Amino acid sequence: MPVSYAFSVAPTSGVPIYRQLVDQIAAQVAGGRLAAGAFLPSVRQVADHLEINPMTVSKAYSLLEKDGIVEHVRGQGMRVNPPGPAGNGKARRQAILPLLKQVAEAARHLALTPEQVIAQLKPLLEHTDDQHS
Amino acid sequence: MISTPDQAALTLQAVHKRYDQKKVLDGIDLSVPTGSVLGLLGKNGAGKTTLIKCALGLVRPDSGTIRVLGDLAQELTAATKARIGYVPQEISLYPWMRVRQLLDYMAAFYPKWNSALVQQMLKDWEVSTGDKVGKMSVGTRQKLAIILALAHEPDLLVLDEPAASLDPAARREFLKAVLEIAAGGQRTVVFSTHITSDLERVADRVAILRGGVIAYEGELDELKDSVKRLHVTSANPLPLTLDVPGAVRIRVEGNEALVSVRNVSEQILAELRAQHAASVRVEDLNLEDIFVEVQHARP
Repeated sequence: MPVSYAFSVAPTSGVPIYRQLVDQIAAQVAGGRLAAGAFLPSVRQVADHLEINPMTVSKAYSLLEKDGIVEHVRGQGMRVNPPGPAGNGKARRQAILPLLKQVAEAARHLALTPEQVIAQLKPLLEHTDDQHS
Repeated sequence: MISTPDQAALTLQAVHKRYDQKKVLDGIDLSVPTGSVLGLLGKNGAGKTTLIKCALGLVRPDSGTIRVLGDLAQELTAATKARIGYVPQEISLYPWMRVRQLLDYMAAFYPKWNSALVQQMLKDWEVSTGDKVGKMSVGTRQKLAIILALAHEPDLLVLDEPAASLDPAARREFLKAVLEIAAGGQRTVVFSTHITSDLERVADRVAILRGGVIAYEGELDELKDSVKRLHVTSANPLPLTLDVPGAVRIRVEGNEALVSVRNVSEQILAELRAQHAASVRVEDLNLEDIFVEVQHARP
């Protein structure tokens, strides 16, 4: 299966397509599905497969490069960088932040104290056996 | 060919056009960079067709300056015309001709003609070359018009509501053809539509026409990144005079308010929360949402 099949986008989402790609690829790198040394599919392959503007894919790739997640190798394409211990952790913390913001917002709505939320969250975090990746 | 200094394929400056007493275009400023795919959005009757016809020199504006691929729109040279592809909204091809004859006839006008592309598209779109143009369905005629506009590989392709009569499968094929053009990065596409979902896949820039002016023009990504809708909920009734910096549209009802806003910052959110003892949820908007919000924007 070509790697480009592992990406998907929702063009009518409020999140710009380039950002959907950046988030997905960063998450796959952070989660190990895209291993260090692997090459991303070419801009053309992704654009053709997802039927989106190639410039959108280029934009996503250059942002990933800027963030140090991938590196451009001349004539070969975009190679996934080995995760730096700090960078990897930071990327993963960054990935969960939008969800945590939603939780915080909902908690304010429901007038729950930080202690109450954390007390509820803790057992959820510790019970991972019913989660599938 | 005269090259434009700013590398724009198409520029309109202070373009005005009125029909009888109705101001259709009331000072259009628009620049379409070479290599971009611009979606021109507007409600029915917003003036999209008039803008396109002025841009191609088919309608003379009352005032303003228009340049197409370096030429003044009113003085297009034959060489420049050969670099433009145009699919009008009302397609008037030669009804008595068969598709085969029409293709031969049209090919003779252009120095460049991609027969392989034409054959491929005829096949993909199931347009039979033996059919008479006048006997075709509206959708098939539109397909044929698009094929004709693409056949000479124009540097500037202008399409007025191209997807309106196409079925969903043909629409996807059409969008793929546009992407094919965009992939080179050298050729420019302008297409008008009121179907926002068509734009979201292929366009990199969007212009929204409203009230005779361009209400918004810029990168689609930038538009999605910058326009958000705030859901404000307070313990107390919110003032009807509620205002937020950068607000596009504000609706207040009792303790709740919906505010669509451009370039909202954490600081603005914090002030809003503090000032009105409110909680604020930030919602991403897709192009259709943004289009609707812009239609209702405060003048």
